[in-house]
Amino acid sequence: MHGRYHEMAPNVVPMDYTKDPDVKLPMQLIINMPELKENPFKERIVSSFSEDGEGSLSFNDFVDMFSVLSEMAPRELKAIYAFKIYDFNTDNFICKADLEKTLNKLTREELTEEEITLVCEKVIEEADMDGDGKLGFADFENMISKAPDFLRYYFKKRVSCTLAGIF
Amino acid sequence: MAAAPGSPAHRAAKSCKKQRTVKRQTGIYTYQEPPHSNSDDDTGEEKAESHDPEQIFQNIQYQKEIMSNIRCRPWPMRQKLRALRQAKEIVLKYEGRLTRTRGYQAAGAELWKKFIRLAYNFVVIFIPWEMRIKKIESHFGSGVASYFIFLRWLFGINIVLTIMTGAFVVLPELLAGAPFGSTVSKTIPKEHIASAQDLDTIWSLGGYLQYSVLFYGYYGRDRKIGKAGYRLPLAYFLVGMAVFAYSFIILLKKMAKNSRMSLASASDENYTFCWRLFCAWDYLIGNPEAAESKAAAIVNSIREAILEEQEKKKSKNLAVTISLRIIANILVLLSLAGSIYIIYFVVDRSQRLERTKKELTLWEKNEVSVVVSLITMIAPSAFELVAALEMYHPRTTLRFQLARVLVLYLGNLYSLIIALLDKVDSMSVTDSDVNNNASNSTTSLATNTLSKDNNLTIPGVQIKRNGFVTIEEHHTQGLTVSDSLVNQTISFNTQNPQDQCWETYVGQEMLKLSIIDMIFTVASILLIDFFRGLCVRYLSDCWCWDLESKFPEYGEFKIAENVLHLVYNQGMIWMGAFFSPCLPAFNVLKLIGLMYLRSWAVLTCNVPHQQVFRASRSNNFYLAMLLFMLFLCMLPTIFAIARYKPSLSCGPFSGQEKIYDIVSETIQNDFPTWFNTVITYISSPVVVLPALLLLFMLIYYLQSIARSLKFTNNQLRMKIQTERTEDKKKVVQMAVARIQNLDANDKRPEQETDIISQESSVRSSTPRKNGSVLNFESPVSKGTRIQTISQSVPQAVPSTDVVRPANATPTTSTSLTAAPSVSSVQKPRNDHITNRYPSVVHRSASELCKTKPYTPVTFKKPTEDVHSDPLFRKAIRQVNSDALGAGAPVLLGCRPYATRYFLVNENESHKKSLRSASRFQRHFRKEESGDIIELYPRHVRRYVVQTPRQMYSPHPSEDEEDEEELEREFMNRSHRPHSLSDLRPAPRFYIGDRTDGHILMSKDLARVHYKSWDDGFELDLDRHPYVYKKVHLNYPEPRVKPKSKQKLEQSLTESDSISIESSSDPQNSSNDQYIQVIHTKEKYPKSGAKLTKKKSKNSVDLSMSEPNELVCSNV
Repeated sequence: MHGRYHEMAPNVVPMDYTKDPDVKLPMQLIINMPELKENPFKERIVSSFSEDGEGSLSFNDFVDMFSVLSEMAPRELKAIYAFKIYDFNTDNFICKADLEKTLNKLTREELTEEEITLVCEKVIEEADMDGDGKLGFADFENMISKAPDFLRYYFKKRVSCTLAGIF
Repeated sequence: MAAAPGSPAHRAAKSCKKQRTVKRQTGIYTYQEPPHSNSDDDTGEEKAESHDPEQIFQNIQYQKEIMSNIRCRPWPMRQKLRALRQAKEIVLKYEGRLTRTRGYQAAGAELWKKFIRLAYNFVVIFIPWEMRIKKIESHFGSGVASYFIFLRWLFGINIVLTIMTGAFVVLPELLAGAPFGSTVSKTIPKEHIASAQDLDTIWSLGGYLQYSVLFYGYYGRDRKIGKAGYRLPLAYFLVGMAVFAYSFIILLKKMAKNSRMSLASASDENYTFCWRLFCAWDYLIGNPEAAESKAAAIVNSIREAILEEQEKKKSKNLAVTISLRIIANILVLLSLAGSIYIIYFVVDRSQRLERTKKELTLWEKNEVSVVVSLITMIAPSAFELVAALEMYHPRTTLRFQLARVLVLYLGNLYSLIIALLDKVDSMSVTDSDVNNNASNSTTSLATNTLSKDNNLTIPGVQIKRNGFVTIEEHHTQGLTVSDSLVNQTISFNTQNPQDQCWETYVGQEMLKLSIIDMIFTVASILLIDFFRGLCVRYLSDCWCWDLESKFPEYGEFKIAENVLHLVYNQGMIWMGAFFSPCLPAFNVLKLIGLMYLRSWAVLTCNVPHQQVFRASRSNNFYLAMLLFMLFLCMLPTIFAIARYKPSLSCGPFSGQEKIYDIVSETIQNDFPTWFNTVITYISSPVVVLPALLLLFMLIYYLQSIARSLKFTNNQLRMKIQTERTEDKKKVVQMAVARIQNLDANDKRPEQETDIISQESSVRSSTPRKNGSVLNFESPVSKGTRIQTISQSVPQAVPSTDVVRPANATPTTSTSLTAAPSVSSVQKPRNDHITNRYPSVVHRSASELCKTKPYTPVTFKKPTEDVHSDPLFRKAIRQVNSDALGAGAPVLLGCRPYATRYFLVNENESHKKSLRSASRFQRHFRKEESGDIIELYPRHVRRYVVQTPRQMYSPHPSEDEEDEEELEREFMNRSHRPHSLSDLRPAPRFYIGDRTDGHILMSKDLARVHYKSWDDGFELDLDRHPYVYKKVHLNYPEPRVKPKSKQKLEQSLTESDSISIESSSDPQNSSNDQYIQVIHTKEKYPKSGAKLTKKKSKNSVDLSMSEPNELVCSNV
């Protein structure tokens, strides 16, 4: 794990972590990892795991990110972070703007305006339990917990093996 | 981080004892922090002030809990680590006091867990192709990977089959069986020995290959071989059956596992769009091309969903599509029939060719398998074209496509095997004739003619390659000379036995088919994928259109078809395994090759299919197909075994009437007689029929159970659904109520602002906010509110009972407020809560001015202190300064803020009671004009009741229920206000500076405040019973503190009950503590001397305590 972290910026990250140095890598480096490179939500993923919200990750955050993305992380935890990832404006709700952004990222802006609005409406109509026009975490979790392949699509194995030793 | 001393919530989750200690010990510091709710932050604080072992134990338990599920907490890693460290420290520190052994056990478990993990990591290395599959998965997503995982699974099955056949059949035969050339069936006939090593002979699996362990014919017929007496024929038969049995078992097991998984996650399709949006991205994709195609696939799927949505609205009455679909289906059926006919025709033709021609060309020899493979390659594409006609939904199209391809494959295999068996049929007929001739070596003419006739009647079926000619000759001559015929026949007989081995023939055909199939697969991968990919990539630069995106494109990886191909392949293996024991071994090799080739091709020159078939590991579709295939492939083998006589001159079963006779023979000869009799009994109809019946009954029973389970399952699901919709409704209602309240709130402050000119600037923001929060939790109308109040009185019999409803209701209220986002937004909720507190107080204060201005003051002031809201303070002070003069007008206006000013007033100068008294009066007058008459009686009644009670109940141990009833009576009696004169005593208490009066004042005042506060609440239209109760609940607690010594069991039990209740709800408990401290604070400044007094004057205190209790219980 640390090897991966180190090799992204060998000159910044010290090999020896016993002194607990305060090193952070900027988002630009992190999102170029092969695991994240093609992910449309890479910026969101990284910034939702960074403690300062700016997107730069300390080693702890880095480990954290992979532990959540790993196969072994429990479903609830994944749901929490997935919610964070999809919540673009970090207001603790997935509102229409968030949905639009998600859609555009996902489809690389290939859908037309009407299609996007239609889909957003549909999504909110389906999942919004309290009728406030946006998805709270409860809505999101409820929805996601019923998805058949949410878990399957949301893990990385390679990292989990190395991570297992930490706890 | 979270180790902050706050988190009363977490503390609340502890025991009731804990709660109490907190109450006693905590000063203000606990409340410096807003009441955080829930375990959001937390851990290791709990320095565990007390040394109560149970408490320590609980603490340890708690910390252990933290340690065990720390991974599941959504904290940043730093926090996790710190929490973990801290928790460990605490556990280590305290655990020693209790038990060390438990620690050792835990350590052992930990070690074991670590070891398991290590072992798992180690084992992963040995899972074949794990890394390769992961790599593919990371590039192309799990859809493609599922193909390879399926392939690997099949590979595993084939390994087992190979081991089974290898260990029990092939190896014994090789080691202990008669060596090559020792018997007739193991030697190559002289005519063929010359060509035995030719390439084309080898290619058609003749020559040396034919006489090898590859095929059935090679195995010896000796009942026992080797020194140990290995029963090869029996083993051969049993292994043949075990292959099927094992395949069945492993398949069903896998399917059951999968269906359990898929059933567990089965859900109604309510969230199509959500899933398509949030679960669409395959987080494993790391390849740009794959990402692109995935994005395209997502676009497709979303469009598809939109279309579907629109389709739902549209009625499908398009005659064109229906007719098109009919045409398409007809086309598919035709092509299926055509392919089956072609195969049959080819098999037939090859037989005819073999008969007519002596030397067959390479093409002619392999015609059958080539044609079959060609059909299996071409027909799916044709089906795909046809499917385009149908205009189905893509998913349906895929399903149809798969079903058709499966039917095609099955048809191919079946027509092939039927043609083969046909041949076998004819072979065995000739065999039997020939054998007849051979056995009756002293041939009579009659038999000869008979055999001759037989030969004549079925000339077409004599397909022996070399024997054919002789027979033909024999035909021409045999009509005339019978003796020569006999000689001929005998010579023919001795010549041909090896060739007549139909089992070997079938095995050969199957193996040939498998080989050809492999070649075609490799060729297609190379041609269709690799070279196309090469062309597209390198020629696109110098081509007139974009090759990569337009016509040829890159080859797609068609998961579904490829998986079907695997199924087909496995079907061939099962079909031929009995006749060619090495077929599984060959298949293992083939699958290994396929694995590498496919993965290479996928990684280099394929793009994922656009419409990815969601073939997850828990998808039973492939497995169901495989099972279907297995069953259908088993049938011909079983049929052949049961129906045909084994070849006479070759194979382990030669000489037997039927293949399965070996079992009964073994049982008869090699087992003790009792076993034989047992077997005969068991196999007799007497046993078999009831057993069958029992089986049927069992099946029926299980099925009915399954049906009923399904039914209940559905019912439960329905229930959940209705509950969900009800929830939805409720939440919507709440939202509506909230909106209404918000509107109402917005109005009220507006009214107020103009009058309170000075304060408005400071305060305007807060009241509104607070008000909104309060309203938030009070969507109940006035009418219901009154009802609940009236209910609460009878409920409030013993103090514990009072506590319970009170505790319960705030819980609901909080949950209501937090309903839209229960667990997610802890932080915001906390804010709400913190806000709510002041809001409640403010509101109450504001309300108070209408009924009783003075009382809330004492209460309020500490509250504000605790909250340490500087702005507020300032505002109050400000008011204070000038409100002394302007107090009256403010009161007249009945502004809420007037109270605030009073409160400061009061606090600063205790002696200004006179003015307050006057204010009192005025205020009440004012109120009488108001419309809230029903509140009066209570208010007044309080006073009326108060005096009698002091006399009535001098003992604290008095049963409160009686008093309660009494009080109720009072209440009933005293409806009307007894006028202001009754009210005066209260202020008088206050005024009185004497010790008694003082104590009374402090006590009663609190009570009165309460009363008035409540009343004030009632004035408000939106006022919520919950709040009311909460307040009331909190009241009894202060009593505990100042008088903890005098208070007897009652108070203890009460507090216990409170804390018990509160421990269930952290939110609630925090409320308790909060208000309670307010009270203590309130007390302290006033009862400095009072406390000492109290100790000396027990009687007074007791009398004091009574009314207090009563008040609380009464409300």
